[in-house]
Amino acid sequence: MSAFAQVLASGVATGCVYGLVALSFVLIYKASDTVSFMQGELLMVGAFAAVGLHAAGVPLALAGVLAVLAVALLGAALERLALRRALGQPHLVAVLLTFGFGLVMRGAVASVPAATHEMHRLPLPEQVLVLGGIAFASSHLAVIAATALLVLLLALFFRHTRAGLALRACAEDARVAALMGVPVARMHTLAWALGAGLAAFAGLLLAPISFVHLDMGLVALKAFPAAVLGGLYSLPGALAGGVFIGVAEALAGLALPEGYKDAVPYALLMLALLAFPRGFGGRAA
Amino acid sequence: MSATARRAALAAAAVLALAVFGYASASPDYALGQATLVITYAIAGLGLVIVVGHGGQIALGHGALVALGAYTQALLVARGLPPLLALPLAMAAGGAGGALASLPARRLGGLYFGISTLAFALMVEEALVRWESLTRGSAGLGVAAFSVGGWSATAPAAQLGVSAVLLALAWAGCRRLLASRIGRAWRALREDEMAAQACGIAAGPSIALAFTAGGALAGLGGALYAHWIGYLSPEQFGLRFSFELLMLVFIGGARRLAGALWGALVIVALPQLIALARDALPGDTLRSAGVETLLFGALIVAAVLLRPQGLAGGR
Repeated sequence: MSAFAQVLASGVATGCVYGLVALSFVLIYKASDTVSFMQGELLMVGAFAAVGLHAAGVPLALAGVLAVLAVALLGAALERLALRRALGQPHLVAVLLTFGFGLVMRGAVASVPAATHEMHRLPLPEQVLVLGGIAFASSHLAVIAATALLVLLLALFFRHTRAGLALRACAEDARVAALMGVPVARMHTLAWALGAGLAAFAGLLLAPISFVHLDMGLVALKAFPAAVLGGLYSLPGALAGGVFIGVAEALAGLALPEGYKDAVPYALLMLALLAFPRGFGGRAA
Repeated sequence: MSATARRAALAAAAVLALAVFGYASASPDYALGQATLVITYAIAGLGLVIVVGHGGQIALGHGALVALGAYTQALLVARGLPPLLALPLAMAAGGAGGALASLPARRLGGLYFGISTLAFALMVEEALVRWESLTRGSAGLGVAAFSVGGWSATAPAAQLGVSAVLLALAWAGCRRLLASRIGRAWRALREDEMAAQACGIAAGPSIALAFTAGGALAGLGGALYAHWIGYLSPEQFGLRFSFELLMLVFIGGARRLAGALWGALVIVALPQLIALARDALPGDTLRSAGVETLLFGALIVAAVLLRPQGLAGGR
């Protein structure tokens, strides 16, 4: 029983990371009708930026905030420079553009010798908390708490700020929003910046669970099914999808032979696409 | 001479030039090998031209279909089947994979469908790594050279010859297919799905057929690739390979068969050019593998921004 609960807790914690990356997919998809194939690299860059800043002597909390802000700025810059040209073009254009930028980021980090040759870890206190007779890793609980806090902030942003309202209006119908005086181009930039920042934040959360390394962006491939399960249009759906995938994967690791667990998210994705073409909470196109 | 034929002749001349250039330089065998690789990529690229350029679908997992063909060929040949007999079976494996990957197309459209092909590709890759008793997992699989009867294509020139003959056959097959009823149906669906359906064209089966044909070509390309490289491992067919193929048709021009050959030429030549550029850079840190990835990504971005219609262009 206690082993089951611990697996569940770690599943929910990883699921939160998947959910955050899925949120970033959905944000970008809603605003600009594109799937970004560089979210994994943004996540990796965010984590490395925090590690680098901390190594340079910046306090840990400040390093995290600065890293997220820097990656958000990077997202905005890429949108301004290139990604806005993909609007209205076939999907292939945006797919290749974001993939290309992903390779550039990956290559840039890989050409720093210290990034490739050593394993990095953010120096966080690692404790075991015992709640109701069940031991939890403090990092898992911290990840869950941080996700909950961030989601609350996002909800407040979308409900109670002008920018949040404008962003929602754009996602609903860009033409009508433009006619009502919403600066649509600026909202696109904001969406990409938020999406990049979210990915970087997910990278920080992943750091205590796994190491900071070049391939940590591969979690984006698992966040992808999460976003689709949630319907690709629904922000709460993306988060729920992420937690669902995380738990399903953790339970598969418990029940299935070694190695099968990594295929579980994709199998779920295929099944979900076949059974619910627009996601569980989705709507007709 | 039609524009398509002229472009095809140009591309053939470019491949020839590559071979001649290699002869003049230090290692002729190397140049022949590169030309062979261009043709192998072009065969797989033809499949993607059908799916993306004519079927109008986004396929994010074409590399997995190439892998299916390559592994089928390698495993059958290793069990004693003559390579020439294994080729149609490798094509069948690729085609079956394509048909399977296209199943969700009956219910999904556009980007959603592209995502489902991505999921299919990731599962194939996972299976290739995990099914160790069959594929030997990440340890990899050795493959013997292509042979017919007592003759075996070990010399680079022979490899180039075999590839060129098969490319010509595949090309002729594609031309016939695209000029036929089903080819017209694909183009009608691409231009306007509603209007096409109103004319009695069934979208689902047509797309499935495009994927089957594209998968069969991918399988053929994979089978040849297995013979020429002589060694298979799952990481050769990862997501990056699928995107390279996608970039191949994008750069070459997805709407023309010649686009596959142009794109293949660029995709095979790029790493060479990047290596040259990297060696010209000063300092040791700049010569890391990371710079290569960086330049490759930058070139994708530049190509997409500068030539959104592809090199062969046209509609």
